[in-house]
Amino acid sequence: MIGRYELLSALFPPLFFLFIAFPLVALVLNLTPRGLAQAFGDPYFWSATFNTILCAAAAAVMGVATAVGFGYYHLFKRDSVIYRIADFLNDLPVALPHTVAGLALLLAFGRRYFWWLGENGLAFTLVAVTLAMFFVSYPLAARAVQAGLEEVGRDLVEVARTLGDTPAQAYARVVVPALREALLGGFLLAFSRSLSEFAAVIMFGGNLPGKTQVLASYVFTRVEAGDLEAAVAASVFCMALSLAVVALVRSLTGAGGLQRAQG
Amino acid sequence: MLKVENVHFSYGDRTVLRGVSLDVEPGEVRVILGPNGSGKSTLLRIVAGILRPDRGRVVIDGEDVTDRPPEDRRVGYVPQHPTLFPHLTVKDNITYSLRNGRGDPDQLDELVEMLELGEHLDRRPDELSGGYQSRVALARALFSDPRVLLLDEPLSDVDLAAKRDLVKRFRRALRRSDAPALYVTHDPWEAERVGDSYTVLLDGRSVDADTVDEALERLRRGAPVGEGS
Ligand SMILES: Nc1ncnc2c1ncn2[C@@H]1O[C@H](COP(=O)(O)OP(=O)(O)OP(=O)(O)O)[C@@H](O)[C@H]1O
Ligand SMILES: [Mg+2]
Repeated sequence: MIGRYELLSALFPPLFFLFIAFPLVALVLNLTPRGLAQAFGDPYFWSATFNTILCAAAAAVMGVATAVGFGYYHLFKRDSVIYRIADFLNDLPVALPHTVAGLALLLAFGRRYFWWLGENGLAFTLVAVTLAMFFVSYPLAARAVQAGLEEVGRDLVEVARTLGDTPAQAYARVVVPALREALLGGFLLAFSRSLSEFAAVIMFGGNLPGKTQVLASYVFTRVEAGDLEAAVAASVFCMALSLAVVALVRSLTGAGGLQRAQG
Repeated sequence: MLKVENVHFSYGDRTVLRGVSLDVEPGEVRVILGPNGSGKSTLLRIVAGILRPDRGRVVIDGEDVTDRPPEDRRVGYVPQHPTLFPHLTVKDNITYSLRNGRGDPDQLDELVEMLELGEHLDRRPDELSGGYQSRVALARALFSDPRVLLLDEPLSDVDLAAKRDLVKRFRRALRRSDAPALYVTHDPWEAERVGDSYTVLLDGRSVDADTVDEALERLRRGAPVGEGS
Protein backbone atom coordinates (compact mmCIF):
# COMPACT_ATOMS: atom_id res chain seq x y z
CA MET A 1 0.00 0.00 0.00
CA ILE A 2 1.18 3.52 -0.70
CA GLY A 3 1.33 5.80 2.31
CA ARG A 4 0.88 9.53 2.00
CA TYR A 5 4.61 10.09 2.29
CA GLU A 6 5.23 7.98 -0.76
CA LEU A 7 2.48 9.65 -2.75
CA LEU A 8 4.59 12.21 -4.56
CA SER A 9 7.34 9.83 -5.52
CA ALA A 10 4.78 7.24 -6.58
CA LEU A 11 3.03 9.84 -8.73
CA PHE A 12 6.15 10.79 -10.57
CA PRO A 13 6.44 7.90 -13.06
CA PRO A 14 2.84 8.00 -14.33
CA LEU A 15 2.79 11.80 -14.53
CA PHE A 16 6.10 12.02 -16.27
CA PHE A 17 5.62 9.18 -18.70
CA LEU A 18 2.03 10.00 -19.54
CA PHE A 19 2.33 13.73 -20.05
CA ILE A 20 5.94 14.24 -21.07
CA ALA A 21 7.30 11.10 -22.64
CA PHE A 22 4.15 9.72 -24.22
CA PRO A 23 3.46 12.73 -26.49
CA LEU A 24 6.96 12.47 -27.88
CA VAL A 25 6.43 8.78 -28.50
CA ALA A 26 3.08 9.52 -30.10
CA LEU A 27 4.82 11.85 -32.51
CA VAL A 28 7.25 9.15 -33.57
CA LEU A 29 4.48 6.54 -33.76
CA ASN A 30 2.63 8.70 -36.25
CA LEU A 31 5.58 9.10 -38.52
CA THR A 32 4.80 7.75 -42.00
CA PRO A 33 6.95 7.26 -45.09
CA ARG A 34 4.49 9.39 -47.00
CA GLY A 35 4.81 12.22 -44.52
CA LEU A 36 8.57 12.01 -44.70
CA ALA A 37 8.47 12.05 -48.48
CA GLN A 38 6.13 15.05 -48.46
CA ALA A 39 8.22 17.06 -46.04
CA PHE A 40 11.61 16.18 -47.47
CA GLY A 41 10.31 16.80 -50.98
CA ASP A 42 9.06 20.26 -50.04
CA PRO A 43 11.54 23.07 -50.80
CA TYR A 44 9.79 25.18 -48.14
CA PHE A 45 10.73 22.57 -45.56
CA TRP A 46 14.38 22.91 -46.48
CA SER A 47 14.32 26.67 -46.54
CA ALA A 48 12.63 26.59 -43.12
CA THR A 49 15.40 24.29 -41.86
CA PHE A 50 18.03 26.55 -43.32
CA ASN A 51 16.43 29.68 -41.84
CA THR A 52 16.09 28.03 -38.45
CA ILE A 53 19.70 26.99 -38.19
CA LEU A 54 21.09 30.20 -39.69
CA CYS A 55 19.05 32.56 -37.54
CA ALA A 56 19.43 30.48 -34.38
CA ALA A 57 23.20 30.41 -34.84
CA ALA A 58 23.31 34.17 -35.49
CA ALA A 59 21.09 34.82 -32.48
CA ALA A 60 23.27 32.61 -30.29
CA VAL A 61 26.46 34.39 -31.42
CA MET A 62 24.83 37.73 -30.66
CA GLY A 63 23.61 36.34 -27.36
CA VAL A 64 27.03 35.15 -26.27
CA ALA A 65 28.75 38.36 -27.37
CA THR A 66 26.23 40.44 -25.43
CA ALA A 67 26.49 38.10 -22.45
CA VAL A 68 30.28 38.50 -22.38
CA GLY A 69 29.75 42.25 -22.12
CA PHE A 70 27.18 41.68 -19.42
CA GLY A 71 29.72 39.55 -17.55
CA TYR A 72 32.04 42.54 -17.33
CA TYR A 73 29.33 44.50 -15.57
CA HIS A 74 28.60 41.53 -13.36
CA LEU A 75 32.21 41.41 -12.26
CA PHE A 76 33.22 45.06 -12.05
CA LYS A 77 30.11 47.24 -12.10
CA ARG A 78 27.62 45.41 -9.98
CA ASP A 79 26.44 48.60 -8.33
CA SER A 80 25.80 50.39 -11.59
CA VAL A 81 22.30 51.20 -12.73
CA ILE A 82 23.02 49.52 -16.05
CA TYR A 83 23.87 46.26 -14.35
CA ARG A 84 20.85 46.33 -12.08
CA ILE A 85 18.46 46.95 -14.93
CA ALA A 86 20.08 44.29 -17.11
CA ASP A 87 20.14 41.73 -14.33
CA PHE A 88 16.50 42.35 -13.51
CA LEU A 89 15.39 42.22 -17.14
CA ASN A 90 17.21 38.94 -17.70
CA ASP A 91 14.33 37.15 -16.04
CA LEU A 92 11.71 38.96 -18.05
CA PRO A 93 11.67 36.97 -21.29
CA VAL A 94 11.04 33.81 -19.29
CA ALA A 95 7.93 35.29 -17.72
CA LEU A 96 6.71 37.35 -20.66
CA PRO A 97 4.40 35.69 -23.21
CA HIS A 98 6.47 35.53 -26.34
CA THR A 99 3.67 36.98 -28.41
CA VAL A 100 4.13 40.09 -26.30
CA ALA A 101 7.86 40.02 -26.96
CA GLY A 102 7.18 39.71 -30.69
CA LEU A 103 4.74 42.61 -30.63
CA ALA A 104 7.23 44.72 -28.70
CA LEU A 105 9.88 44.03 -31.33
CA LEU A 106 7.42 44.77 -34.11
CA LEU A 107 6.60 48.14 -32.59
CA ALA A 108 10.23 48.98 -31.94
CA PHE A 109 11.74 47.90 -35.24
CA GLY A 110 8.74 47.94 -37.55
CA ARG A 111 7.42 50.70 -39.69
CA ARG A 112 6.94 53.21 -36.91
CA TYR A 113 10.61 54.01 -36.22
CA PHE A 114 12.38 52.14 -38.99
CA TRP A 115 10.27 53.11 -42.01
CA TRP A 116 13.47 54.35 -43.66
CA LEU A 117 14.75 50.77 -43.85
CA GLY A 118 11.85 49.55 -45.98
CA GLU A 119 8.12 49.32 -46.08
CA ASN A 120 7.91 47.31 -42.85
CA GLY A 121 11.09 48.45 -41.20
CA LEU A 122 13.00 45.37 -40.16
CA ALA A 123 9.85 43.31 -39.73
CA PHE A 124 9.23 40.16 -41.76
CA THR A 125 12.86 39.60 -42.69
CA LEU A 126 15.43 37.08 -41.51
CA VAL A 127 16.98 39.88 -39.48
CA ALA A 128 13.69 40.13 -37.63
CA VAL A 129 13.65 36.36 -37.09
CA THR A 130 17.16 36.58 -35.67
CA LEU A 131 16.31 39.50 -33.40
CA ALA A 132 13.25 37.69 -32.11
CA MET A 133 15.37 34.65 -31.30
CA PHE A 134 18.02 36.86 -29.72
CA PHE A 135 15.45 38.56 -27.54
CA VAL A 136 14.21 35.32 -26.04
CA SER A 137 17.52 33.46 -25.87
CA TYR A 138 20.02 36.09 -24.74
CA PRO A 139 19.04 35.75 -21.06
CA LEU A 140 20.13 32.11 -21.14
CA ALA A 141 23.56 33.08 -22.41
CA ALA A 142 23.78 35.80 -19.77
CA ARG A 143 22.86 33.35 -17.01
CA ALA A 144 25.43 30.87 -18.30
CA VAL A 145 28.12 33.57 -18.14
CA GLN A 146 27.00 34.56 -14.65
CA ALA A 147 27.18 30.95 -13.48
CA GLY A 148 30.60 30.55 -15.09
CA LEU A 149 31.88 33.68 -13.36
CA GLU A 150 31.00 32.22 -9.98
CA GLU A 151 33.54 29.50 -10.68
CA VAL A 152 36.31 31.57 -12.19
CA GLY A 153 36.90 33.34 -8.92
CA ARG A 154 37.85 36.92 -8.30
CA ASP A 155 41.39 35.90 -7.34
CA LEU A 156 42.37 35.53 -10.98
CA VAL A 157 41.31 39.06 -11.73
CA GLU A 158 42.99 40.43 -8.64
CA VAL A 159 46.31 38.80 -9.48
CA ALA A 160 46.10 40.00 -13.07
CA ARG A 161 45.52 43.52 -11.83
CA THR A 162 48.52 43.46 -9.53
CA LEU A 163 50.47 42.45 -12.64
CA GLY A 164 49.34 45.64 -14.33
CA ASP A 165 46.04 44.80 -16.02
CA THR A 166 43.17 47.26 -16.01
CA PRO A 167 39.81 45.63 -15.25
CA ALA A 168 39.02 45.45 -18.96
CA GLN A 169 42.40 43.87 -19.76
CA ALA A 170 42.07 41.33 -16.95
CA TYR A 171 38.59 40.48 -18.18
CA ALA A 172 39.65 39.94 -21.78
CA ARG A 173 42.95 38.20 -21.06
CA VAL A 174 42.09 36.05 -18.09
CA VAL A 175 38.38 35.80 -17.42
CA VAL A 176 37.03 35.25 -20.92
CA PRO A 177 39.51 32.43 -21.68
CA ALA A 178 38.66 30.82 -18.35
CA LEU A 179 34.98 31.06 -19.28
CA ARG A 180 35.40 29.03 -22.44
CA GLU A 181 33.16 26.19 -21.32
CA ALA A 182 30.50 28.49 -19.96
CA LEU A 183 30.51 30.39 -23.25
CA LEU A 184 30.11 27.22 -25.26
CA GLY A 185 27.33 26.10 -22.94
CA GLY A 186 25.70 29.50 -23.25
CA PHE A 187 25.94 29.35 -27.01
CA LEU A 188 24.23 25.96 -27.16
CA LEU A 189 21.55 27.01 -24.70
CA ALA A 190 20.81 30.13 -26.67
CA PHE A 191 20.90 28.15 -29.90
CA SER A 192 18.46 25.52 -28.66
CA ARG A 193 16.14 28.15 -27.22
CA SER A 194 16.22 29.91 -30.57
CA LEU A 195 15.46 26.72 -32.48
CA SER A 196 12.30 26.28 -30.46
CA GLU A 197 11.00 29.84 -30.63
CA PHE A 198 7.68 30.27 -32.38
CA ALA A 199 5.56 33.09 -31.04
CA ALA A 200 8.06 35.94 -31.09
CA VAL A 201 9.39 34.84 -34.46
CA ILE A 202 5.97 34.71 -36.07
CA MET A 203 4.90 38.09 -34.65
CA PHE A 204 7.97 39.97 -35.76
CA GLY A 205 9.48 37.85 -38.51
CA GLY A 206 6.25 36.60 -39.97
CA ASN A 207 5.63 33.21 -41.49
CA LEU A 208 6.50 33.70 -45.13
CA PRO A 209 7.22 30.31 -46.71
CA GLY A 210 10.61 30.31 -48.33
CA LYS A 211 11.44 33.67 -46.79
CA THR A 212 11.06 33.92 -43.04
CA GLN A 213 9.44 30.62 -42.22
CA VAL A 214 11.29 28.53 -39.63
CA LEU A 215 10.71 24.91 -38.66
CA ALA A 216 8.37 25.81 -35.82
CA SER A 217 6.19 27.89 -38.08
CA TYR A 218 6.46 25.35 -40.90
CA VAL A 219 4.93 22.69 -38.64
CA PHE A 220 2.20 25.12 -37.68
CA THR A 221 1.43 25.91 -41.32
CA ARG A 222 1.29 22.24 -42.33
CA VAL A 223 -1.14 21.47 -39.51
CA GLU A 224 -3.30 24.44 -40.48
CA ALA A 225 -3.38 23.19 -44.06
CA GLY A 226 -4.44 19.73 -42.90
CA ASP A 227 -1.13 18.13 -43.95
CA LEU A 228 -0.82 16.20 -40.74
CA GLU A 229 1.63 13.62 -42.04
CA ALA A 230 4.08 16.20 -43.34
CA ALA A 231 3.68 18.12 -40.08
CA VAL A 232 4.55 15.00 -38.11
CA ALA A 233 7.61 14.31 -40.25
CA ALA A 234 8.85 17.89 -39.85
CA SER A 235 8.18 17.68 -36.13
CA VAL A 236 10.17 14.49 -35.70
CA PHE A 237 13.01 16.09 -37.65
CA CYS A 238 12.80 19.12 -35.36
CA MET A 239 12.76 16.91 -32.30
CA ALA A 240 15.85 15.04 -33.47
CA LEU A 241 17.63 18.36 -34.01
CA SER A 242 16.66 19.58 -30.55
CA LEU A 243 17.64 16.32 -28.89
CA ALA A 244 21.03 16.46 -30.55
CA VAL A 245 21.62 19.96 -29.19
CA VAL A 246 20.37 19.00 -25.74
CA ALA A 247 22.65 15.97 -25.72
CA LEU A 248 25.56 18.18 -26.68
CA VAL A 249 24.73 20.65 -23.91
CA ARG A 250 24.54 17.86 -21.35
CA SER A 251 27.81 16.34 -22.40
CA LEU A 252 29.44 19.74 -21.97
CA THR A 253 27.79 21.11 -18.86
CA GLY A 254 26.95 17.88 -17.08
CA ALA A 255 23.46 16.53 -16.50
CA GLY A 256 20.72 19.09 -16.10
CA GLY A 257 22.57 21.79 -17.99
CA LEU A 258 19.55 23.38 -19.64
CA GLN A 259 17.48 23.62 -16.49
CA ARG A 260 20.37 24.89 -14.40
CA ALA A 261 21.05 27.76 -16.70
CA GLN A 262 17.35 28.56 -17.04
CA GLY A 263 16.67 28.58 -13.30
CA MET B 1 59.91 50.64 1.71
CA LEU B 2 56.36 49.88 2.76
CA LYS B 3 54.41 51.76 5.39
CA VAL B 4 50.93 50.88 6.55
CA GLU B 5 49.52 53.63 8.73
CA ASN B 6 46.58 53.20 11.08
CA VAL B 7 44.46 51.24 8.65
CA HIS B 8 40.82 50.55 9.46
CA PHE B 9 38.60 48.29 7.44
CA SER B 10 35.08 46.81 7.63
CA TYR B 11 33.16 44.44 5.39
CA GLY B 12 29.75 46.06 5.71
CA ASP B 13 29.17 46.18 9.46
CA ARG B 14 31.80 43.52 10.22
CA THR B 15 34.86 45.46 11.37
CA VAL B 16 38.04 43.54 10.67
CA LEU B 17 40.89 46.03 11.07
CA ARG B 18 40.80 48.83 13.62
CA GLY B 19 44.15 50.53 13.54
CA VAL B 20 46.85 48.46 11.86
CA SER B 21 50.29 49.98 11.33
CA LEU B 22 53.55 48.47 10.21
CA ASP B 23 56.80 49.33 8.44
CA VAL B 24 58.80 47.02 6.23
CA GLU B 25 62.29 47.96 5.04
CA PRO B 26 63.66 47.03 1.61
CA GLY B 27 64.65 43.37 1.60
CA GLU B 28 62.93 42.71 4.91
CA VAL B 29 60.43 39.87 5.24
CA ARG B 30 57.79 40.67 7.83
CA VAL B 31 55.68 37.69 8.83
CA ILE B 32 52.06 38.34 9.75
CA LEU B 33 50.64 36.00 12.35
CA GLY B 34 47.11 35.87 13.69
CA PRO B 35 44.15 33.59 14.35
CA ASN B 36 41.80 32.56 11.57
CA GLY B 37 39.65 35.46 10.52
CA SER B 38 41.89 38.06 12.17
CA GLY B 39 42.21 39.96 8.89
CA LYS B 40 45.60 38.86 7.55
CA SER B 41 44.33 38.33 4.01
CA THR B 42 42.30 41.50 4.26
CA LEU B 43 45.43 43.47 5.16
CA LEU B 44 47.32 42.07 2.17
CA ARG B 45 44.44 42.88 -0.14
CA ILE B 46 44.44 46.44 1.15
CA VAL B 47 48.15 46.81 0.45
CA ALA B 48 47.59 45.30 -3.00
CA GLY B 49 44.88 47.86 -3.70
CA ILE B 50 42.12 45.30 -4.12
CA LEU B 51 40.35 46.68 -1.06
CA ARG B 52 40.26 50.30 0.00
CA PRO B 53 40.76 51.08 3.68
CA ASP B 54 38.05 53.04 5.48
CA ARG B 55 40.78 55.00 7.23
CA GLY B 56 44.55 55.12 7.17
CA ARG B 57 47.19 55.10 4.46
CA VAL B 58 49.36 52.76 2.47
CA VAL B 59 52.70 54.28 1.49
CA ILE B 60 55.13 52.61 -0.91
CA ASP B 61 58.58 54.12 -1.41
CA GLY B 62 57.41 57.34 0.12
CA GLU B 63 54.42 57.64 -2.17
CA ASP B 64 50.87 57.52 -0.82
CA VAL B 65 49.15 54.85 -2.93
CA THR B 66 45.96 54.57 -0.87
CA ASP B 67 43.82 55.83 -3.73
CA ARG B 68 45.57 53.93 -6.48
CA PRO B 69 44.14 50.86 -8.16
CA PRO B 70 46.19 47.62 -8.02
CA GLU B 71 47.49 48.03 -11.56
CA ASP B 72 49.23 51.27 -10.61
CA ARG B 73 50.96 50.01 -7.48
CA ARG B 74 53.48 47.47 -8.72
CA VAL B 75 52.96 44.93 -5.98
CA GLY B 76 53.65 41.23 -6.37
CA TYR B 77 50.76 39.26 -4.92
CA VAL B 78 50.56 35.56 -4.15
CA PRO B 79 46.99 34.90 -2.96
CA GLN B 80 46.05 32.38 -0.31
CA HIS B 81 45.59 29.60 -2.81
CA PRO B 82 48.04 29.88 -5.67
CA THR B 83 45.85 31.27 -8.37
CA LEU B 84 47.49 30.53 -11.67
CA PHE B 85 45.93 31.48 -14.97
CA PRO B 86 44.52 28.11 -16.01
CA HIS B 87 44.69 28.65 -19.77
CA LEU B 88 48.36 29.71 -19.81
CA THR B 89 51.50 27.61 -19.56
CA VAL B 90 53.85 27.97 -16.62
CA LYS B 91 56.11 30.18 -18.69
CA ASP B 92 53.29 32.44 -19.81
CA ASN B 93 52.04 32.64 -16.26
CA ILE B 94 55.43 33.76 -14.98
CA THR B 95 55.96 36.32 -17.72
CA TYR B 96 52.38 37.62 -17.70
CA SER B 97 53.47 41.11 -16.58
CA LEU B 98 55.45 41.56 -19.82
CA ARG B 99 52.11 42.29 -21.49
CA ASN B 100 52.01 45.41 -19.39
CA GLY B 101 55.63 46.31 -19.90
CA ARG B 102 56.80 45.03 -16.53
CA GLY B 103 59.61 42.66 -15.82
CA ASP B 104 62.73 41.76 -17.69
CA PRO B 105 62.74 38.71 -20.00
CA ASP B 106 66.36 38.03 -18.99
CA GLN B 107 65.20 37.50 -15.42
CA LEU B 108 63.26 34.41 -16.39
CA ASP B 109 66.20 32.03 -16.46
CA GLU B 110 67.40 33.03 -13.04
CA LEU B 111 63.97 32.61 -11.48
CA VAL B 112 63.39 29.32 -13.22
CA GLU B 113 66.69 28.01 -11.98
CA MET B 114 66.24 29.24 -8.45
CA LEU B 115 62.78 27.68 -8.15
CA GLU B 116 63.65 24.63 -10.28
CA LEU B 117 60.87 25.14 -12.76
CA GLY B 118 62.87 24.27 -15.88
CA GLU B 119 61.12 21.01 -16.69
CA HIS B 120 57.69 22.49 -16.18
CA LEU B 121 57.76 25.61 -18.32
CA ASP B 122 55.44 24.23 -20.99
CA ARG B 123 52.99 22.58 -18.60
CA ARG B 124 49.57 23.88 -17.66
CA PRO B 125 48.83 24.74 -14.02
CA ASP B 126 46.46 21.80 -13.54
CA GLU B 127 49.31 19.42 -14.31
CA LEU B 128 51.36 20.72 -11.37
CA SER B 129 51.43 19.66 -7.72
CA GLY B 130 50.54 22.18 -5.03
CA GLY B 131 54.19 22.87 -4.34
CA TYR B 132 54.98 23.66 -7.94
CA GLN B 133 51.91 25.84 -8.26
CA SER B 134 53.21 27.86 -5.31
CA ARG B 135 56.60 28.19 -6.94
CA VAL B 136 55.02 29.47 -10.14
CA ALA B 137 52.86 31.93 -8.23
CA LEU B 138 55.95 33.27 -6.48
CA ALA B 139 57.96 33.39 -9.70
CA ARG B 140 55.18 35.30 -11.41
CA ALA B 141 55.09 37.87 -8.62
CA LEU B 142 58.89 38.24 -8.52
CA PHE B 143 59.20 38.47 -12.28
CA SER B 144 56.98 41.55 -12.40
CA ASP B 145 59.68 43.53 -10.61
CA PRO B 146 57.42 44.58 -7.74
CA ARG B 147 58.03 47.35 -5.24
CA VAL B 148 56.34 45.28 -2.53
CA LEU B 149 55.78 41.52 -2.19
CA LEU B 150 52.66 40.06 -0.61
CA LEU B 151 52.49 36.36 0.13
CA ASP B 152 49.36 34.91 1.70
CA GLU B 153 50.12 31.47 3.14
CA PRO B 154 52.01 30.57 -0.03
CA LEU B 155 52.87 27.11 1.25
CA SER B 156 49.52 26.12 2.74
CA ASP B 157 48.82 23.68 -0.10
CA VAL B 158 52.22 22.03 0.16
CA ASP B 159 52.82 18.75 1.98
CA LEU B 160 55.25 18.69 4.86
CA ALA B 161 58.05 16.88 3.11
CA ALA B 162 58.16 19.41 0.28
CA LYS B 163 57.78 22.31 2.68
CA ARG B 164 61.25 22.01 4.23
CA ASP B 165 62.89 22.44 0.90
CA LEU B 166 60.48 25.08 -0.34
CA VAL B 167 60.83 27.33 2.68
CA LYS B 168 64.55 27.52 2.02
CA ARG B 169 64.02 28.28 -1.64
CA PHE B 170 61.38 30.90 -0.95
CA ARG B 171 63.61 32.51 1.62
CA ARG B 172 66.45 32.71 -0.89
CA ALA B 173 64.16 34.06 -3.61
CA LEU B 174 62.80 36.74 -1.29
CA ARG B 175 66.33 37.68 -0.25
CA ARG B 176 67.33 38.11 -3.84
CA SER B 177 64.62 40.69 -4.37
CA ASP B 178 65.05 43.85 -2.38
CA ALA B 179 61.33 44.57 -2.22
CA PRO B 180 59.86 44.66 1.28
CA ALA B 181 57.70 41.59 1.83
CA LEU B 182 54.64 40.72 3.92
CA TYR B 183 54.39 36.99 4.48
CA VAL B 184 51.33 35.42 6.10
CA THR B 185 51.59 32.00 7.68
CA HIS B 186 50.09 29.96 10.49
CA ASP B 187 53.15 27.81 10.88
CA PRO B 188 55.69 28.98 13.54
CA TRP B 189 58.40 26.80 12.05
CA GLU B 190 57.93 28.40 8.63
CA ALA B 191 57.62 31.86 10.22
CA GLU B 192 60.92 31.47 12.01
CA ARG B 193 62.80 30.39 8.91
CA VAL B 194 61.38 32.92 6.50
CA GLY B 195 60.89 36.01 8.63
CA ASP B 196 63.11 38.88 9.72
CA SER B 197 60.43 40.50 11.83
CA TYR B 198 56.91 39.74 12.95
CA THR B 199 53.54 41.40 13.33
CA VAL B 200 50.64 39.88 15.19
CA LEU B 201 47.05 40.74 14.27
CA LEU B 202 44.68 40.47 17.20
CA ASP B 203 41.20 41.95 17.47
CA GLY B 204 41.88 44.13 14.48
CA ARG B 205 45.04 45.70 15.89
CA SER B 206 48.67 45.08 15.09
CA VAL B 207 51.54 44.41 17.47
CA ASP B 208 55.13 44.10 16.28
CA ALA B 209 57.52 41.49 17.59
CA ASP B 210 61.20 40.82 16.93
CA THR B 211 61.12 37.06 17.28
CA VAL B 212 58.65 34.28 16.62
CA ASP B 213 58.58 33.38 20.30
CA GLU B 214 57.66 36.89 21.24
CA ALA B 215 54.94 36.89 18.59
CA LEU B 216 53.56 33.55 19.75
CA GLU B 217 53.58 34.77 23.32
CA ARG B 218 51.53 37.77 22.24
CA LEU B 219 49.07 35.45 20.53
CA ARG B 220 48.79 33.25 23.59
CA ARG B 221 48.17 36.14 25.90
CA GLY B 222 45.34 37.32 23.68
CA ALA B 223 44.19 40.85 23.11
CA PRO B 224 46.83 43.46 23.81
CA VAL B 225 45.82 45.83 26.56
CA GLY B 226 46.43 49.51 26.07
CA GLU B 227 48.08 49.07 22.69
CA GLY B 228 47.08 50.04 19.19
CA SER B 229 44.79 53.00 18.74
N1 LIG C 1 34.38 39.45 1.15
C1 LIG C 1 34.08 39.40 2.46
N2 LIG C 1 32.88 39.83 2.89
C2 LIG C 1 32.56 39.80 4.20
N3 LIG C 1 33.36 39.34 5.16
C3 LIG C 1 34.57 38.89 4.80
C4 LIG C 1 34.99 38.90 3.43
N4 LIG C 1 36.24 38.39 3.38
C5 LIG C 1 36.57 38.09 4.63
N5 LIG C 1 35.59 38.40 5.49
C6 LIG C 1 35.61 38.25 6.95
O1 LIG C 1 36.60 39.10 7.45
C7 LIG C 1 37.34 38.47 8.47
C8 LIG C 1 38.82 38.48 8.12
O2 LIG C 1 39.02 37.70 6.97
P1 LIG C 1 40.46 37.40 6.42
O3 LIG C 1 40.30 36.49 5.26
O4 LIG C 1 41.19 38.66 6.20
O5 LIG C 1 41.11 36.61 7.66
P2 LIG C 1 42.48 35.80 7.71
O6 LIG C 1 43.20 36.32 8.88
O7 LIG C 1 43.16 35.84 6.40
O8 LIG C 1 41.95 34.33 8.02
P3 LIG C 1 42.60 32.92 7.60
O9 LIG C 1 43.69 32.66 8.58
O10 LIG C 1 41.48 31.97 7.77
O11 LIG C 1 43.08 33.02 6.20
C9 LIG C 1 36.77 37.06 8.61
O12 LIG C 1 35.88 37.06 9.68
C10 LIG C 1 36.04 36.84 7.34
O13 LIG C 1 34.92 36.02 7.57
MG1 LIG D 1 43.66 34.47 4.99
